[in-house]
Amino acid sequence: MIGLTASLPTAPRFPWARHPISIAFLLSILLLGVGETLSPGFAAPGQILSLLTVAAFLGLVAAGQTLVILGGREGIDLSVGGTVSLGALIAGNLMQGSDAMLLPALLGVILVCGIIGAINGLGVTLVRLPPLVMTLGMYGVIQGLLVLLTRGRPSGKAAPLLLDLITAPVFAGIPGLLPVWALIAALLTLILTRTSLGYAIYALGSNELAARFAGVPTVALRIGLYAGSGILGGITGFLLLGYTGTVFVGVGDQYVLPSIIAVVIGGTSLAGGAGSYLGTVAGAILLTILQSLLTTLAIDPAGRQMIFGATLLVLMLLYGRRQALRG
Amino acid sequence: MILYRRPWVAALAVTLLLLLANLAVQPSLFKPAIMLSNLSSWLPLILVAMGQTYVVLSGDIDLSIGAIISLVNVSVVSLIGAFGGGDGALLLAIVCGFAIGIGAGAINGVFVAALRLQPIVTTFGTGILFAGLALAIMPDAGGTVPDRVFETYAGPLLGVPVILWILSLAVLFVIALGRTRFGLRALAVGGDAQAAFQTGLPVTRVRILNYGLAGGFAALAALCLIGETATGDPLLGGSYTLSSISALVLGGTALSGGTGGAIGSLFGAMSLGIINNVIFFARLPFELQSLIQGIIVLAALAVGTLVARR
Amino acid sequence: MGALAVEAIGLSKTYGAVTALREGHFQLRPGEVHILLGSNGSGKSTLCKLIAGSIRPSSGELSLFGTPTNLSGPNDARARGIGVFYQELSLSPHLSVAENILLGAEPLTRWGTVDRSALRHRARDLIALFGSAAGPGLTPDAPVSRLSFDQKQIVEILKVFSSNPRVIILDEATSSLDRTQVTILFERLRALKAQGVAIILITHRMEEIFEIGDRVTIVRDGLSVATLEIAATDKNEIVHHMVGARIEGSIQRRLRPEPSLETALTLDGLQGPALAPLSVTLRRGEILGLGGLHGQGQSDLLLTLFGAQGTQAGRITIAGQRFRPTSPRAALKAGIAYISGDRRRVGVFAGRPVFENLTLSILLKTGARRVRPGLLRTLLEPILNRLKLKAPSLAVPIQSLSGGNQQKAVIGRWLTTKPKVLLLDDPTKGIDIQSKNDLYAMLDSLCAEGVGIILYSSEDSELLGNADRVLVFNSGQVTEELSGARLTEFDLYQAALKAA
Repeated sequence: MIGLTASLPTAPRFPWARHPISIAFLLSILLLGVGETLSPGFAAPGQILSLLTVAAFLGLVAAGQTLVILGGREGIDLSVGGTVSLGALIAGNLMQGSDAMLLPALLGVILVCGIIGAINGLGVTLVRLPPLVMTLGMYGVIQGLLVLLTRGRPSGKAAPLLLDLITAPVFAGIPGLLPVWALIAALLTLILTRTSLGYAIYALGSNELAARFAGVPTVALRIGLYAGSGILGGITGFLLLGYTGTVFVGVGDQYVLPSIIAVVIGGTSLAGGAGSYLGTVAGAILLTILQSLLTTLAIDPAGRQMIFGATLLVLMLLYGRRQALRG
Repeated sequence: MILYRRPWVAALAVTLLLLLANLAVQPSLFKPAIMLSNLSSWLPLILVAMGQTYVVLSGDIDLSIGAIISLVNVSVVSLIGAFGGGDGALLLAIVCGFAIGIGAGAINGVFVAALRLQPIVTTFGTGILFAGLALAIMPDAGGTVPDRVFETYAGPLLGVPVILWILSLAVLFVIALGRTRFGLRALAVGGDAQAAFQTGLPVTRVRILNYGLAGGFAALAALCLIGETATGDPLLGGSYTLSSISALVLGGTALSGGTGGAIGSLFGAMSLGIINNVIFFARLPFELQSLIQGIIVLAALAVGTLVARR
Repeated sequence: MGALAVEAIGLSKTYGAVTALREGHFQLRPGEVHILLGSNGSGKSTLCKLIAGSIRPSSGELSLFGTPTNLSGPNDARARGIGVFYQELSLSPHLSVAENILLGAEPLTRWGTVDRSALRHRARDLIALFGSAAGPGLTPDAPVSRLSFDQKQIVEILKVFSSNPRVIILDEATSSLDRTQVTILFERLRALKAQGVAIILITHRMEEIFEIGDRVTIVRDGLSVATLEIAATDKNEIVHHMVGARIEGSIQRRLRPEPSLETALTLDGLQGPALAPLSVTLRRGEILGLGGLHGQGQSDLLLTLFGAQGTQAGRITIAGQRFRPTSPRAALKAGIAYISGDRRRVGVFAGRPVFENLTLSILLKTGARRVRPGLLRTLLEPILNRLKLKAPSLAVPIQSLSGGNQQKAVIGRWLTTKPKVLLLDDPTKGIDIQSKNDLYAMLDSLCAEGVGIILYSSEDSELLGNADRVLVFNSGQVTEELSGARLTEFDLYQAALKAA
């Protein structure tokens, strides 16, 4: 149907082998192997499931991060740590251990965190603040909100049903959280690759002006992406509550920078317009396994950090290099 | 036109307004002793923010700068002990501290500019590395330095407080640098790296130098922190990373690079300190303090960004 | 005659598996203006960038002033006396005009700091070359980000002149300049030529070749195919070399059926920030040309109609229905399409597959949530065949196509939406002759289908060859309407230069 051009770029022989997603998955398996060799039982099925459970929370936070990064214009969400904490806090306080309040609590979390995300979006679009600045400032505001809500003493308790849902095995020892993650991942991938919304998101990230000229409601879409990140952060907090049972202040802080790293080592460009959620999933799993391996090997905190940092740099060197100014 | 290339004018105005607000809730603000103690607690952030400004001006960012502070802090405290604590040892340790800071910054620069890695993720990675190194050098906060160190730091030199000397020298350095060819070229690199390269500017070198500068300023901040706390702490620097970015944005430097300046960051960092003061002295209910501070900082960041853009 | 200023022997450049320039042979004599001609992606800019040191050759040899040279970078080339005007410009947006002009060669005081007053003076002298043609606001202290595009091009030109180069490379330096500005530039080039400076000029405007050129080298598909003395050649021979076997390119108007009597679009007192009130009716199947000097409000009219330009007043009617141009999205839904020649900025989604580039607008217009690739392919197929779009597959990223094919993909995106009114904003800027001809044929068939077209072009021949009538713009106002026997280059020039 379409003519061939004279000088076709020939495809590399194993294109998938250079792809960040494959690299991340392969490295994950490699690390599992290393762990199993050095500390037998590291790659036991039960252990892998618990690793995946830990990765799921990071992966869900990073889902929102993926959306705002894909949307371009230096998209980034530093407030996710706040929305996760806030999500857990609101959920815990609305539920107070009662199953009946499970759904209202979820809706409350989605509403509040969605609004916070949308405010980020408004700041980024209408006031045109750099996302880093807007979401960093919002992080501070959420910190204040958390103090105000808890008065320094965290409160709230998960509903038993939620605890069951997250931790109890649903099938072959797989805890309920993992199907939830898989479902969200499938949905997100479907949206990104098979819907006009997904096309519009990639178009927005690739060339905002061209997207507007092609008929994309760019401002509304970008606000929607930040709202989406807020909601996904809130949902992660909600699920975290089901994992821990009670509320900790600042439970989300640990996810802020790792969520960005997971997105990047999954092959999504911080410049926007290119990448996938599957990559982020791979990134989240790789990061979790690496952390766990370093802990299992009983390396002291200093060594653990240095190895972790060095690994990150090596990964960046592997496929994170940007184009040279001189071609 | 008065604001073009002088974004610090707006930052200065904001700082003065905030100072008035501070005075309203804290009448003793302008007593020399109070001012001096304020300044000494703001000084580390001022210095870090000034350093971070250079990296941001050339279009990059340094998320490892807090870890560099920690690293220099524990290294210098350990070295003072190792060298024996004499005057020569102190001087040598200080020189080593600067070398470590500048070296760490240059490593960032090489990764980001020469090896062309994405700056946010890369400096996050080197930051973890530097923090790990700091932990390896000194696993727990501790170590002591000779009393002379903090006595000198808190005292006067030729009738002027040492803190003021440090600040003035830093400001003079920044002004002088801004008038050189390097200052102009850093702005050009941050404005459009490809264009600067095609113009024949040494883009990679400029970016590495800026990272090195940031490391140097971080080292100076770390030394000031030793002067103030007289001890080493491997977790000391962490909070300075994001604060330094807030400060420089408040000071009118654009995160996209190419426009702004270190003088603005000086006022930006002071503004953050003054906001803290105002919140503290305004006797707000405890549970509201943090929220109000968050909102004020967010609003200030918005204003800073708008000023940088104009 | 002395040594050659530049000699390229078998110079080639490959990016991965893509060859941008193969076996480039090229000789530049001191004191000549040498035109480089070729379609987009043919390798002209690559050759220039190799000589400028901003990319490194994959193989071959480059000699400068008779000595084989291995450039280490743009600074090296600059030190050897090579000054380059980059098509995409090499300006720093936040620096002032003076700083930009002298960047890299800043005058210093004896303290080693930048000598600001010397900087300003030297810039002022250079700006004076263009006199009033530089336009308002082009002062040494103005930030470059606040200049208009033609003023930025002037700054880039002055930046080249400021280093007193022995070799000057101008890569589409005239693309946004108006006639007066081009005349001034050419006068200056003639003076430099007399001093023995060697000049390479890339342009797509045929008339400029004969106005200033001494020799012309034609590049096609990464190969230099011929070098001709301008005095001993003509347009037909040049075009012959450019398109290979095919001979084409006359400025003859093509025959098209008369436009229908039905109206496609009515403007009733439409005005905008840079646009005086305008009332005009566009018939179905008609091509309405917009002429005049560059930047006189033609693009403003198109962007206002498309809803991309803030405020406006007046009434727009499309097929009998009132249309309020609030956003491009509204325009899309009302059946208006806008295609700009500035495809990199407002057209192409770099990094995304051709398929996504083609289908986004139709998906948004119909409000379809799900993407049905099969359905879309059957919709696309006839359009792609008509456009003669060449791509290895629709899954490749769009930036791997040539400029002309990228532009065809952007056009295809809009044709799938079946527009009633097509707005063309210099649509063939920087694309090759073959793609241009494909596009013209496309316009004819769209007219036959009853689409109303408004065409702005910076090339007079394109305007005259396509439009049924031409509105001539001057400072946001239509000063003249040309049609019938008055559709000639002579009348167009006259109308464009006449004061409002």
